[in-house]
Amino acid sequence: MSALTLAPPDVMIPVAARLATVDKETHDTFTLTLAANSREQELPAFAPGQFSMLYVFATGELPISISGDPAERGKLVYTVRSVGKVTHALVTSRPGESIGVRGPFGTAWPLKESYGRDVLIVAGGIGLAPLRPAILHVLRHRGDYGRLIVLYGARSPQDLLFRKQLSAWNYVPDTLIINTVDYGGLSWRGNVGVVTTLFRHVRLQPARTTAMVCGPEIMMRYVVRELLARGLSDEDIHLSMERNMKCAVGFCGHCQLGPYFVCKDGPIFTYGKLKRWMDRYEL
Amino acid sequence: MQPLVLTIAKRDIAQWVGALLESGKVIAPVRGPCGEAAFCRIESPEEPLWEFENPLAPPKQFLLPQTDPIVAIRRNGGVTTVAPIYDDAPRILLNVRPCDVRGIAFLTRMHEMEPADASYLRRRANFTLIALACHVPCRLGFCVCSDSGPFLSGGYDVQLTDLGERYLAETGSEKGEAAIGHASGLFRPASEEEVAQRQRLETVARGRFGDQTCHFASAMRRISTRRVDDALWEQMGDWCLECGGCNFICPTCYCFSVKDRGGDGRWTRCRMWDSCQYGAFTLEASGHNPRAQRGERMKRRFFHKVSAQYYVRDGATGCVGCGRCIKVCLGGTDMPAVVAAIRRRAWHEQ
Repeated sequence: MSALTLAPPDVMIPVAARLATVDKETHDTFTLTLAANSREQELPAFAPGQFSMLYVFATGELPISISGDPAERGKLVYTVRSVGKVTHALVTSRPGESIGVRGPFGTAWPLKESYGRDVLIVAGGIGLAPLRPAILHVLRHRGDYGRLIVLYGARSPQDLLFRKQLSAWNYVPDTLIINTVDYGGLSWRGNVGVVTTLFRHVRLQPARTTAMVCGPEIMMRYVVRELLARGLSDEDIHLSMERNMKCAVGFCGHCQLGPYFVCKDGPIFTYGKLKRWMDRYEL
Repeated sequence: MQPLVLTIAKRDIAQWVGALLESGKVIAPVRGPCGEAAFCRIESPEEPLWEFENPLAPPKQFLLPQTDPIVAIRRNGGVTTVAPIYDDAPRILLNVRPCDVRGIAFLTRMHEMEPADASYLRRRANFTLIALACHVPCRLGFCVCSDSGPFLSGGYDVQLTDLGERYLAETGSEKGEAAIGHASGLFRPASEEEVAQRQRLETVARGRFGDQTCHFASAMRRISTRRVDDALWEQMGDWCLECGGCNFICPTCYCFSVKDRGGDGRWTRCRMWDSCQYGAFTLEASGHNPRAQRGERMKRRFFHKVSAQYYVRDGATGCVGCGRCIKVCLGGTDMPAVVAAIRRRAWHEQ
C-alpha cells in the first residue's frame, strides 16, 4: 500500500492511485484496474471515450483510454497493449503499486445524441478498448437504443480482445457482434479479412445509425469510406483519434491535428470536423 | 486608471535600477563573454545594457524555462509523495523589446485558455515588464508586419523611450506604477514637448525598417485554405536541418515534453522544451508517425503560426517579427522566407 499527498487542482500534477488488478487479456494486452489509495480519495467519474494520463513513476506518462463500465464508480479500468517502455512498465506493475493518474480528459462518444438510434461500433485491434464503455452503456440502457452492431477486427485469433464478453453480448436482443481476423490459422473457423469486409454481413439504416469508430488511422479511413458509401452522413460518423500527447490539456503541442488539439478538441471527432484535415497528408 | 507619463534623467537610471533590485529579481540584457547581449539576472544597477541588439535567446526562458521542474516525487519504502513545485518569485524584466512583450502576451493568452496552466500563470503574475521601445529598428526585425513594434500601445507595465538626455516612462498597469514608485523622486511628469518627441520617434522608426518584410495576410489566406502545394512544403523541408533552433528562439513557441530526472527514490518531473521539427515529436509507441517527413512538420509549424484557424484560436499570428529565426536558421527556412515562398508559390532554388 502506498500513502499519498493529495495535490492541489493543477492540471499537470498527477495524483497517485492504487493499482488494484492486472488481468491478462491476450499475449501482449492487459486490463488494469485503478482504485482509490485511501478512503478520502475519490476517483473521478468519466464519460465513455475519455482518456486519462497514466504515469509510471520515474518511467513516463502516456494517454490511455478508459475501457471500464461508466456506471461503476470507485474504479478506473484501462486496457493497455504493451508496445513501448511505459506500457511495458504499466503491464508489469504489481497490484498494490502506486500509479500516477490525471484526467479524465477529452470528448466522449455521442451516447446522449444517439438516443433511440442504431449504434454501429467499428473497432480495430486495441481500438475496441475505448469503445467498450460505449458498448457497456448501450447494453445497460438497452431499451433506449435501436440495434447495436459491433464489427471488430484483430490481427489474429490470439489478438481478439474481450472474447468471452463479445460472445456473451451476442445473446443480448437486437445485438450483433461480428469478428474478423487478418490471419486465421488452421483452427480459426470465423471470418478472415480486414474489418471493412464485415459490412456485407449487415444491413444499415443510414438515416437512423450513429457510427463510432476506433482503430489504426488507415483502418478508419477505409471504414469512413464504407460508411459514406452506405449513406451515413459526415455528422453521424464519430472517430477516436490517437496522437502522441504530453500534457492532455492543449499546451504541449504534440497532438495538433490541423486546427485541433486531439487531447482537448478530441479524441472523438465527427468525420465532418475532420474530413478537411484527413483527405491530404498531415497537418 | 489614467496612465502616468513621466521622465527620468539618464544619470539617475542606475539609482532606479538599484531600487528595483531591492524589490525583486531583475532580469535585463547584459553583455555576454563574446560581446553579445543576453538576458540574465543582474546583481548591480550598472549591468543592464541600454543600447543593444535584441538578444538571440528571447526572455521566454524566464517564464517557460527550458527545464522546468513541476513535481517533486519521493519514494520511501512503499510511500510515494507527489509534491508540486511552485515558482512565484517576483521578477522584473527590464529593457525587454516590444516584440518580446508581445511574445509574452501571446504565451499568456494561450496559457489562460481553459483549462488554464497554473504554473505558467503563477509565474507570469509575478512578472513586471519594463519595455524599452525601439527608436531605431533592428537590422532583421519586421515587427511592423505583425503589429508588435517598434513601439507598444499596451501590454507593458512600463514602456521606456530614449529621448536623448532622458527616458520617457509610460505606465501601463498598477505593477508599472509600483515599479516607478520604488524611486518616484527620480521621475517628473513629462512635458508636452517630450510626449510629442516620443510620437515623432515612433513615426520615424516606423519608416526606418530594413529589408525584411513579411506579408502575413496573403500567406495566411493560402495556408488556411490549404492552397499551398505539398510539393512546395517538401521542397522547403529539404532545407530544414531539424535542429529545432527556430522553435527555441521563437518568442511564441511553447511546445514541451515532460521527462523525469533523478533517481534513487527521489526525482523531479520536468517540462522541457520540445520542437515540432524533430522527427520523433509525433511518433507513437506503435510506430505510427503522423508527421514522418520534414515537409509535413514544416507545414504543421507554419499552419500553427500563420493560419487563420490559429489566428482565431490564439488571438494573433504566432510571429512577432523579431527576426531571430532569420539569424538562427542555417537552412534559411525562416518566417519571411517561407511566407515569401508561399506567396510566390516557389522556393528560392528555382
